[in-house]
Amino acid sequence: MSASSIVRDWNTMDTEAFRAEVRAFFQQHYPEHLRYPKRRLRWDEIRPWTLKLAAHGWLAPSWPARHGGMGLAPDKLIAFIEEQERHGVARAPDMGITMVGPLLIQHGTDAQRAHYLPRILACQDIWCQGYSEPNSGSDLASLRTEAVADGDDFIVTGQKIWTTLAQDATHIFLLVRTDKAAKKQEGISFLLADMKSPGITVRPIRNIAGAEDFCEVFLDNVRVPRANIVGELNKGWTIAKALLGFERIFLGSPKQSQYALSRVEEAAAALGLLDDPVFSDRYTQLALDVADLGTLYARFVEQVKRGEALGPEVSMLKIFATETYSRLANLLVEIAGASGGTPGDVPTDGGTIDVLTTFYNARPATIYGGSNEVQRNILAGAVLQLPS
Amino acid sequence: MTAATLASPADRVEERALLRASASAFVGKESPASRSRALRGKAPGFDLRFWAALAQQGWTGLLAPESAGGYGQGLTEMAEVVSALSAQAAPEPVTPVIVFAGRLLAGCGDCAMALQLLEQTASGQLLPAVAWQEDAAGATSFDHQGHPAEPATVCARSASALQLSGRKLHVRPGAGASGYIVTASSSEGLALVWLPAEAVRSGSELQRQADGSFAARLELDNVVLPASHLLASGERARAAFAAACDEALVMAGVELLACARRMLDMSLDYLRTRKQFGKPIGSYQALQHRAVDLLVQRELSSALLEHALAELDRGITGDERAQLAARVKARCSEAALTVGREAVQMHGAIGVTDEHDLGLYLQRALVLSAWLGNAAQQRRRYAALTRHPRDGGSAGAEGTAR
Repeated sequence: MSASSIVRDWNTMDTEAFRAEVRAFFQQHYPEHLRYPKRRLRWDEIRPWTLKLAAHGWLAPSWPARHGGMGLAPDKLIAFIEEQERHGVARAPDMGITMVGPLLIQHGTDAQRAHYLPRILACQDIWCQGYSEPNSGSDLASLRTEAVADGDDFIVTGQKIWTTLAQDATHIFLLVRTDKAAKKQEGISFLLADMKSPGITVRPIRNIAGAEDFCEVFLDNVRVPRANIVGELNKGWTIAKALLGFERIFLGSPKQSQYALSRVEEAAAALGLLDDPVFSDRYTQLALDVADLGTLYARFVEQVKRGEALGPEVSMLKIFATETYSRLANLLVEIAGASGGTPGDVPTDGGTIDVLTTFYNARPATIYGGSNEVQRNILAGAVLQLPS
Repeated sequence: MTAATLASPADRVEERALLRASASAFVGKESPASRSRALRGKAPGFDLRFWAALAQQGWTGLLAPESAGGYGQGLTEMAEVVSALSAQAAPEPVTPVIVFAGRLLAGCGDCAMALQLLEQTASGQLLPAVAWQEDAAGATSFDHQGHPAEPATVCARSASALQLSGRKLHVRPGAGASGYIVTASSSEGLALVWLPAEAVRSGSELQRQADGSFAARLELDNVVLPASHLLASGERARAAFAAACDEALVMAGVELLACARRMLDMSLDYLRTRKQFGKPIGSYQALQHRAVDLLVQRELSSALLEHALAELDRGITGDERAQLAARVKARCSEAALTVGREAVQMHGAIGVTDEHDLGLYLQRALVLSAWLGNAAQQRRRYAALTRHPRDGGSAGAEGTAR
């Protein structure tokens, strides 16, 4: 943080005034060419902006002020994120901010906090999340990457996958098995590792859109200091679950769908379909899905703003948001007709359209953050009380 | 009860909870499903003594202003009563009479006859019905801008009399109505005319509805009425009708959601208890996931209704109100029919028997969905309402997804 950043109590501020200040900062400082990016940006692209945010003291809006964050209460944090979305601010590699920081603040040792938090705030350390494994996706607790104690170290061996932007990360936080005899959730620990450790290999995975957003991470006898365990040994699962706070609400934000609806409308205008009654019926149905999603989302947001914890019901937002998004992507491909198989910009008589970016982006949306099938299982059991 | 406008939000929430509890208790006790079942198909299709009991509870006067002998409550409060009645499939036409006709009368301003009719409605003595739609599918009910269309029915005016000619369809309640508020075109624009039931006896034909209630078809062949029966005309009539129609659409949504809730609850009970292949069928993932999709539809409807009722009570007007009403009716109609169809499938063959109560709700959902414009029609209306004013600047980016 620079010396210019003074600690302010944002929460006593009027929300509209707060929004105005945030918006003004984005308008003044966020690079115009990076607004509403069609794909996930890499660290070298978003780094200058992230450093600017850090220098302004705004990198960690949710962290308590005493740890260098903005200390925003839920309503202000939601306002901050809504303004980011409204301005089209890209998501930087933020695992240090959203996951590692809150984790260390709650469960870390003083030494861990003193070492890692300032490095995250200074953008020295960029974190990635080592959870999923080739055979442990939805059934994450079956993970097999193993950490065996060896003196003051652990020796870690195994493989992580779907690790977002691991190629840009300096550090990784891992769920590892530290007790093979225990019930599957009870033998898991939370471990922090330096990506430069000997034995770590990263292999980017090319996705169907041609981008390398996620990677495989191979761990071959990697030596990690025992001091890098977060919380108690074999209690990593509990800690990881506790991290899923009200931020789950953002998985159900209507913003993606609102954006996709605009893309459909632009494409329909370019293709001369706006007065086509068949298109109009389908478009309106989806427009109403998006509108009603917004209303349902607002109800959950109000709950968070009142300081109430989110229940398992919030899974329904993720399901409807991502499936509405997916239906919009389908409509885009359908109206493109013969151009529906052309990636990138497609010239038409009515202007340039992009057909497949939305389609590609919609694919992982129904998978990540707990697949929609797992979300339905959760709702069936915890909300509808259906038997297992 | 105090006027809604005077109560603080916290008081209002508490009053709503009390109203909900008392309405549920009353309807639960006085209106079992067997009562609704017994009233089906026998005109008027509901019970006038039960109507009197509702009046005694103060519910027929809940919405009417205090100046008309009512309690001056909002649609939010009315929704609690309507919801309790619908949850038991009670057939009394509260939404058509108290909300649609009642609000229309209240919107007629200082017309002496309108005020008198409203007082009698609030006290439960009078059951007015609104007669506005004119074709079998209701395709001509809204115009190309999504506003209520100019009626083909004509009101000719002389110095001392009115003369109505045209036809009106889908009038609810069809049987048991004391009279009709007829929409008609006149030299001064839209006219709202009070037509006592006895003045059109020979030209009225009842159509039995799926749920055992009745809708009427009125043939108005130069029906002559005193000039005092003109309740409103011109801009006032247009505004009053647009508002009452939107409010009735939202209250129909409340009824549809109540039906959907009941049908989903019945299905969940069945999924938990019905065993096949040695296990409760609700333990099978295929059925669990389908049940979750119904939950999502229920909650979309519920969040939207809560929002819409609050906005209407706040006094939103014009296209903003119309869009919201269209959204509500589209969502709740679709949700209730989807839940109903899925509920039958989940129940298996027992779900298609007349003996099972599920059918009471599905049939009611069919009638309510069709009334005042079904989901597809309301979506088209929404498109018409939003086509012209187009504000730019759509927010959000795919790359910022969290």
